[in-house]
Order: sequence, then C-alpha cells, then structure tokens
Amino acid sequence: MIQRRGFLQRIGLGGGLLAAGAFPYGLARLLAPDLPVNPRTHLRLPGALKDPAAFAAACIGCGLCGEVCPPHCVRFYGREGGDRANTPYIDPENKACTLCGKCMEFCPTEALTVTPRHQIDMGIAQIDRAACYPWVDKGICGACVSICPLGERAIDFAMWNQYRPVVRQGCVGCGLCVEVCPHPSLPIRVVERTEGSVTRHRVS
Amino acid sequence: MTPNPETSGAPPRPFRFRRHLNKLRWVSLVAVFGLLVLLPFLHLYQTYMAAHAYDLLAPSETRIYDAMEALTQPFVSDPAEDLDALKGTTWSGTLFGFKLSDPLAALGQMAAGFSLYGPFLLTALVPIAFTLVFGRFFCGWICPATLLYELNTNLGAWLHKVGFPTGGRRLDRRMKYLVLALGLVLSGVTGSVLVATIYPPAIIGREIYYTVALNGFGVGAVFFVITLLFDLLVARRGFCRYLCPGGALYSLLGRYRPVRIRRDASDCNDCYKCDAVCEFGLDPMRDDFGQECNNCTACIAVCPTDALAFTLRLHDLPYQGPGHLGRHYRKGSAMPIESAEEEVK
Repeated sequence: MIQRRGFLQRIGLGGGLLAAGAFPYGLARLLAPDLPVNPRTHLRLPGALKDPAAFAAACIGCGLCGEVCPPHCVRFYGREGGDRANTPYIDPENKACTLCGKCMEFCPTEALTVTPRHQIDMGIAQIDRAACYPWVDKGICGACVSICPLGERAIDFAMWNQYRPVVRQGCVGCGLCVEVCPHPSLPIRVVERTEGSVTRHRVS
Repeated sequence: MTPNPETSGAPPRPFRFRRHLNKLRWVSLVAVFGLLVLLPFLHLYQTYMAAHAYDLLAPSETRIYDAMEALTQPFVSDPAEDLDALKGTTWSGTLFGFKLSDPLAALGQMAAGFSLYGPFLLTALVPIAFTLVFGRFFCGWICPATLLYELNTNLGAWLHKVGFPTGGRRLDRRMKYLVLALGLVLSGVTGSVLVATIYPPAIIGREIYYTVALNGFGVGAVFFVITLLFDLLVARRGFCRYLCPGGALYSLLGRYRPVRIRRDASDCNDCYKCDAVCEFGLDPMRDDFGQECNNCTACIAVCPTDALAFTLRLHDLPYQGPGHLGRHYRKGSAMPIESAEEEVK
C-alpha cells in the first residue's frame, strides 16, 4: 500500500515536472495558433526545400534571408504561423522577389540552398484569361512580360495575338509580374507548379 | 561607524583591472543590443540604395537614409554590398564575413530534422570553443536579452524599495536542463526548431528586426514580456536561472571551464556583498560558483577587499572556511581554546 502510494507520488511528481518544463513551449505555441493562410500570398523562398515539413525542420528562424534581401520582400510568419512561426515567405502582391539569390547565399542552414536561377521553383504564374486586360480586349498592357527577369522562356506574348501574355514552362514563380500587374483583381498570380495547374490553366 | 578610507585620507585602494570588468561588460551588452537595433536600419538603407529611388522616399524614410548614409560613409564604399559584412543576430549571423551561430540553434536544428548539416554546424564551433573555456560568458556578456533582464532586476529592486511585492522565490536550478531536453524532444516531434520560440536572445534579435523593418513586433515580444513579468513577480532573473534552454546548454558545456572566479580566503572578510549582488543566486562567499556562473564579474566589482579574481582551474575549490579578515575567523585564531583556558586558570 505504501509502495503503491510512493509510486503514484513519483509518477505525479514526474508528470508535474514534465508539465512545468513543457510550459514555456506550450505558452509560445498558444500565442501562435496555426491559422490557414492564402498560399498565393505566401510563396516559399527561392532555393527553399520543396517539402514544407523539411523546410520547417531546417529553418531556425534567424531572419537572415529577410535582412539581406535588397528588394525587402521577405516576410515572416507571425501569429498565424503555428509551427511555421518566424519562417520566411514572400508576398508577391506586396513586394516580389527579384531572384538576386542573396538569401540562398546567406542562409546558414540547408533550408535555402544555392540554386541556379532557372532551376528555382517558387511556383508558376497563372493568368486568368477572363480578367487580364489584353485577354478581354480592354487594352494593351504587357507589364508582366516586360518586368519578367527570365525573359521569353518564362512569359511571352501569344503567337496569334501579340498583346496577350502567355506563361511558359520556364517560369520560376518569382512573382514580379504579380507585383506590377495593374489590374485591381490581379489576374496573374503564382500557383503551385503541379501537373493539374499547368493543364487546367493553359500554361503553354 | 567606520570612517570611509577614501575620504579620511587613507591611501587609496590600488587599481585593479578586474574590478572594472563589470563596466566593460555593460559596454559589451549595450554595444550588442545597439548593433541589433542599428542593423535593421542599415538594411532599410540598403534597400533604398538598391531601389535607386531616393526621390520617391517618404519623409521618414529619407531621414533614415540620410542618417545611415552619414553613419556609414566613412567606412564603406558600396553600401549595397559592403554592409552585408555585418548581418543577422546572435542566433545566427555574419560578423565581418565570418558566419557564427548559436550552439542551441545547431542542436535544435539537428533535433528537428534528425539530420546533420556540416556547414551550419561549423558556424557554431567558435561559440562552442569559447563556451568550453569561459563557461556561460554568452549569458553575461553578449546576450541581448540579458541587458533587458538586468534592467528589469534593477526595476524590481526599485519597486521592492517603494513597497511593491516582488518575487524572490527559489526554484530548482536543474529545471532548465529539463526544459532543454523537452525542447529538443518536442522539436523532433513537431518538426520545427521549437527552442527558437522561447529562447530570449533569438526572440529579441528577430523582434527588433520585425519592429524596425517589417510591420511591427510579433508573438515573441509577447512571450518576452511574460518572461520579464516572471522575473519581476516570481524569481529574480528566474528565466535565465531556471528555464532558459540556451543557459542550460552553456552551463553543461562550461562545466569544466578552465577560467573561473575564485575566492581568496586570506583576503575575504565575509561581508556577504558578493552573495547579495549575484543575480544568479550563487554563493561566491562560500566558494560555490558551479556551472551556472555567467562570469558577469559583479561580485568582483563589489568586493571591498579584492578577494575574488579569475583563476585557471578546472574545478571550484571546496568551501575554504570563513574569510581570514572576517569576524568568525579572527575569533577562532586570535584566541585559540587552549590559551583561553590558560588565562582562566
């Protein structure tokens, strides 16, 4: 009987200690609940590990990528981040990446690895042909084509109508086109580079 | 009341460099903190440079641009590139082109991803080497949170003076090792570097950057304020002493540090000032420093007889007995029991 009581006391003490030790982490986690984010305004950085889980495990949240970014486009997950808190993302609607590669160079971990410009994969641009001005014959624009740092291998005008932009497979999803798009509803956006989006949204 | 020797014409105490180390430490803390505040402004300046858009800047941005230009002009020729030599925080950063990381960052990342990444681990080597020699010196001399925590302690002392109840609770020092171990385990479970969310220097570094260069502070600042309240209301310097995972790691690494503070019993007068001033609640007067001492040198600065000094030893001395200048020791030695008995006869 006494043995059992001692045993239970020991278990209680151990549990209490574990709870006390885990309390700071619990508090920090409570302050940052995991809220859904819009993937179109939360692009991963150039050279980032493809797997989001691997990226979260590799990134230590030091903020160096943001601190060296010349266009100042890197943001960090805050309250909404949950376990991703303090990891970086890029919001192209606010400020887009210029593919300068400084973040990859400075990242101390393998979260961002130096990648050649054309092999970067942040996503792929997609044009909503029901809204884009030239595609609905509302004028001549071409802002996305002229800003693209990768040139005609990424975005080009359609063969049969030299005003309508068309995204090509070389697009790496930097989002500069999203930043400059003059249309208020941003008919061009960066989506995941998956088979489905390529066929469905007619990226040629 | 004994006359103050400095005003009564007695010869002044000889100059001892070690008595001024504490001031030097404050200079170091303020310099690190000031640098962390300055770097985001320098980054903003770099982005304005990169955009070639001085004419389009808002008035507040123009002020930043002009101030940073005036500050850096004598040192750099190409701000957009040259200022990259000094980047980051104490969590991980570049110091004049030399990459340095917190050992806890390396350990936490290993635990989160179950993997070793050589180039990153190499950046933690120099801090680890320094910790092996000097113990928890990072906590006392560099940590940007220490500056705020010590100011918080001073605030607590002032509040205590005016009658506000502040906490002086003593918990178990070994608690922080549990926090470190749990942090590494939980990092592995959740797959993110969880220690970074509760480690104050990492929080301070990035929250200053968020506040200056991005849209304002985030969660970390809230957590940090909670730890300040914990220090104020529960235990003095409680977070560093009982909960900080980084402090735990540095304590373990510095367990057999060769450079440690030692009391010279022949100079000690048992005045107890060192014990009173020690923010980590250690007991220098009874030779108890242990692995927790962060080499803050406050006890050296406060010692009226210069009995405390740095020495090269792998272990603390066991308690050497009362100080030879103190009352207890003199009572025992000036009148040994045998002679006292003879006098009575």
